[in-house]
Amino acid sequence: MVEAVRWLRENSLSVAFLVLFLLTVGGQAVAGLHEYNDQQLAQGLTPISFFAYVASSSYAVDVAENWQSEYLQFFLFIMLTVWLVQKGSPESKEPHAAGAESDERQQIGRYADDDSPKWARVKGPRLWLFSNSLGLVMGTIFLLSWLAQSVAGQAAYNSERLIDLRDPVSWGTYVTSAEFWNRSLQNWQSEMLAVLSMVVLSIYLRQRGSPESKPVGAAHTSTGVEG
Amino acid sequence: MRLPLIVLASALAVTGCAPDTGSPARAAERFHAALSAGQTQAACAMLAPESAEELPDPGQSCADALRELRFGPGGRVTEVSVWGEDAQVRLAGDTLFLHRFGDGWRIRAAGCTPVRDLPYDCEVED
Repeated sequence: MVEAVRWLRENSLSVAFLVLFLLTVGGQAVAGLHEYNDQQLAQGLTPISFFAYVASSSYAVDVAENWQSEYLQFFLFIMLTVWLVQKGSPESKEPHAAGAESDERQQIGRYADDDSPKWARVKGPRLWLFSNSLGLVMGTIFLLSWLAQSVAGQAAYNSERLIDLRDPVSWGTYVTSAEFWNRSLQNWQSEMLAVLSMVVLSIYLRQRGSPESKPVGAAHTSTGVEG
Repeated sequence: MRLPLIVLASALAVTGCAPDTGSPARAAERFHAALSAGQTQAACAMLAPESAEELPDPGQSCADALRELRFGPGGRVTEVSVWGEDAQVRLAGDTLFLHRFGDGWRIRAAGCTPVRDLPYDCEVED
């Protein structure tokens, strides 16, 4: 019991976000079903069940378009902060540290510690793969989510086109359509703005106790310091 | 954890692209077979409720309205597209739009001709 409580405390951030994710994705399904069925009834068509809705292309495209943009945001943030800096931001490295950094600073190869991950101590493709694993996985999830958005989006779009007495379109036509790019770009712009806000506001503003902020008393000019 | 979910969602979406095209095709053929046989009452029974309601002029029955439209022969099925609960069936002599209701596929629109960049113009529609 004590072990379980300790485990929960040590992993509380992940657990909290997992619970919030499940609650919000479930809430989206319930709200989405009501909106979908409202439209169906208005068009003289049949409402569908909760399970039919969560298996529908309409729900899938709404979920996937948000996932891809979030993973794109984190992928870009991870990759661009390797080379680009913002003086005064805790989200940035010091300007002189821009780039992939030395083996010593990255604790790899002969500079690895005893408790360094195994693949940080080896050389060759395994070291390269592990050195870039976070960006690779986030980038891959982004691409898969975007692909899922395009597939589910085509199905949802064609269903709407048939209801409107129009011809369905091919996947190739869909991924070059205004609908697909409007869905993608409206999510991307908000993600880019959120990152910009975080990078810039954290120069001048503080959140006491948060590692995403500098210490309250840290100078506005100090960069890469997390509280 | 999200990665397998996305892969599953993609797989479901992809496999969902191989739906039953036979049922809407047969519904479209039966509709045109009834019209060809002069069984307009039976053809009306195959329409979606809104379409059957919209079709007749005041004081006219659905069957009379269908008879007045003088549909040509439907011919063979040339193409069927099914997306979710909706379908388009192209026959040699007509294009129809259908929706899957609780009791099966019903005709929402028939006697449709394409209009560039706009919805089809249909003799029967909801």
